Amino acid sequence: MKRDRLKILLPSLREKERYVSFRIISEEPINYSDLEAAVWNLFLDFYGEVGVSKLSMWLIKNLWDERNQIGVIRCNNIPVQKIIAGLGVISRLGDIRVIFKILKVSGTIKGLKLK
Amino acid sequence: MNYFDLHVHSAFSGGESSLEELAETARQLGYRGVCFVFYYQDEKQLEILIAEINRIRKDIEIEAYLGFEARNLKELAILTKKRKSFDVLLVNGGDLELNRIACSTPEVDVLTHPEYQRTDSGLDQVCMKLAAKNNVAIEMNFREILIWNKATRAKILSNLGHNVKLAKKYHVPIILCSGSVSHWELRDPECLISMATQLGLELRDAKKAISEVPERIVRQARERRSKKWIMPGVRVR
Repeated sequence: MKRDRLKILLPSLREKERYVSFRIISEEPINYSDLEAAVWNLFLDFYGEVGVSKLSMWLIKNLWDERNQIGVIRCNNIPVQKIIAGLGVISRLGDIRVIFKILKVSGTIKGLKLK
Repeated sequence: MNYFDLHVHSAFSGGESSLEELAETARQLGYRGVCFVFYYQDEKQLEILIAEINRIRKDIEIEAYLGFEARNLKELAILTKKRKSFDVLLVNGGDLELNRIACSTPEVDVLTHPEYQRTDSGLDQVCMKLAAKNNVAIEMNFREILIWNKATRAKILSNLGHNVKLAKKYHVPIILCSGSVSHWELRDPECLISMATQLGLELRDAKKAISEVPERIVRQARERRSKKWIMPGVRVR
């Protein structure tokens, strides 16, 4: 039988994840697609393609709370400061001026929600 | 942790936002205190500004401080004489002579953006030794990073990194400020700390640069306001 999936990595070989939750303070409500485009463009500009490849960064769509403007970025445990610094450099999403307020950094999504 | 932003411009000093907007946004972002920076004109202006700052202190739950930024040697001389009337004395860096005089003046609290509009970092080892001796904090201005991009931003980051390296070597206090001229340019303290770590500061030192260093400056300001204070190192018992 042909295998289509990789074997699950041993825990010691897996990357340790960190989740950074943030709230956006903005002139007008922001939608997910604008946020995703702005975050990726900024990080690619600021850190370059090689730099971003080392962040293992992902903006989690399921956890985007449009009503409260709260989102979560996943990354590995080493570049958390890079992610937070990068979010601080984003001053506009399109024409809308924004401020990112960092809420919490946690190793699990559950940990974020406990706040 | 108590965070302070000691370099914020309002509509009174070429900025876009009112004191209320700035204070309210700073409070939302988790700052304990914020210093509104103005350019000195005359005694009358000073009285109006003191009244405005007192009003903000009462209206919004944030510690508001009054700061003046000297743009040239003449303004620095005037502000040094009136040092007891306000909280924080900043010097607008960028000019080599002004950078050096600011570093050698004990009344100065903060030298703002010494690398402003320069191709070099604006500070050498002589200035750093003077700044360490006179306890003048060197500012890392986040606005410089925020408003520029591509090559200019890369040069600014390089110059800031160079100043961090020298400041670490000569034990000069570094202070993190937003340098904002609008409440939309204020940044979360965590973002400023993280940016400082990208420029070569240790995480512990970066946290000190936005909490302990400005806290010391505002504590000195409070002491200076007391009637017992005569001059640095001299007070009535």
